[in-house]
Amino acid sequence: MRHRGRGIACMWYPIGFTVAANPSAAVVKVNEDGSATVLTGTVETGQGALTVLGQIAAEELGIAADDVHLVSGDTDATPMDTGAIASRTTYVTGNAIQMAAAEAKKILFEVAAPMLGVRPEQLEARDRRIQVIGFPQKNLPIGEVAHHAQVVMGRPPLGSASYNPPTVAMDPETGQGKPFSTYVYAAQVAEVEVDDETGEVEVLRIVAAHDCGTPINPTLVEGQVEGGISMGVGLALQEEILFDAEGRQINPNLTNYIMPTSLDMPEVEVDIVKNYDPTGPFGAKGVGEPTSVPTAAAIANAIYDAVGVRIHSLPATSEKVLMALREKRAMQKQIPAE
Amino acid sequence: MEITIRVNGQERTASVPPETTLLTMLRANLGLTGAKLGCDVGDCGACSVLVDGEPVNACLMLAAQAAGRDVLTIEGLGDFQELSPLQEMFELFSSFQCGFCAPGMIISAKALLDKTPNPTAAEVREALSGNLCRCTGYTKIIDAVMEMASRGAAESERA
Ligand code: FES
Ligand code: FES
Repeated sequence: MRHRGRGIACMWYPIGFTVAANPSAAVVKVNEDGSATVLTGTVETGQGALTVLGQIAAEELGIAADDVHLVSGDTDATPMDTGAIASRTTYVTGNAIQMAAAEAKKILFEVAAPMLGVRPEQLEARDRRIQVIGFPQKNLPIGEVAHHAQVVMGRPPLGSASYNPPTVAMDPETGQGKPFSTYVYAAQVAEVEVDDETGEVEVLRIVAAHDCGTPINPTLVEGQVEGGISMGVGLALQEEILFDAEGRQINPNLTNYIMPTSLDMPEVEVDIVKNYDPTGPFGAKGVGEPTSVPTAAAIANAIYDAVGVRIHSLPATSEKVLMALREKRAMQKQIPAE
Repeated sequence: MEITIRVNGQERTASVPPETTLLTMLRANLGLTGAKLGCDVGDCGACSVLVDGEPVNACLMLAAQAAGRDVLTIEGLGDFQELSPLQEMFELFSSFQCGFCAPGMIISAKALLDKTPNPTAAEVREALSGNLCRCTGYTKIIDAVMEMASRGAAESERA
């Protein structure tokens, strides 16, 4: 017989470690056609980092994301980056890019101010224009200002910056300190069906609520959450590296190392909890690794809710669940019914 | 041995050792690197191509077995300048992340939609179950295929 159950699991996850140097740096150049070029050492692995970083530069400069050209991942041309690791890129590299873009923008404002007959503080960058705050009809195209800055004023609109999350050393006595710059939070609920004759677990649905600060690109956040959940489902029910007595992996192939296919993926509902972190670029924190943290725990709790057994080692294979069910039945037989 | 295959509508010939797989001939001899070499043993689907309209793992088929037949690879759909409607749909849904599975996934989706223009979600999952994806959780891939199917159905109703 198949039993249905639900389980919940919550997590927090640190973004921007501070126990060691963790810098990112960027160079931003505004071009005479109104486009911008960003140099960053970080690497796109499909998560959409360059899209998000381009959006951050565009937002700061008041231009469109399509106007931003990113040069990345080659330290012959770009600054070094600590890495596309630790769910840090949006936060740490994003901050560096926003700061570098702000520097370039400052030059544009100083050049545009006398052209528009105002002070630089009275300007804003929006819709590909430098305009007077409150009087947007008084404006100049960004490209024109960049051109003027370059060829008339001799001040090319460039910015460079680096960001290293503020460090607070750990107290050697208490072990306390501030090891991370900020934190993200999430809760996931799993709904499963467990077959009490075979021990087989099917995950029907996962609902995932994730705080990532301001979602710079909600579609990409969803993609991260959905992908993380598939890894969590694999961790919960299927994936296991097996070793022989000599420590050699005995399943170094996809025939015997089983990972989720399209048939194993549950329905996924993603709820992005909007938040704002004043230390992040436009309020953003991060999303990536956190997405697969609570999934297996939620599934294990759902198994308990369905059939009343606790699985303490992953993956919760049919064999393990069935064994636990047998043990539970044997226990119940020993206890005389009242 | 000399093998001639009709690849993406063009006769292509290469001289290869008899044990050469279709995947190796496509990638190494014909320069068509769209189909990916993932596992080389038929587990991952990254090498999926259509042979006479049927999806196959090109790593499991000998090039000689494809001689004289019609092979469609991802290069036979669209290119950067002009994507095919199915590729456009995947782009619209941001279906892929690293993209390694994408050529095979798109070929499998095409094979399904060519035969079953209006599949159920279960049929889509089944059709894509031989294509592993480590990044996306399949969600936006399945959604894109379902949307393609429903648009196709709407179009054929109008026709
Ligand atoms: S490379 Fe052919 S199935 Fe993996
Ligand atoms: S997008 Fe990376 S494997 Fe599918």
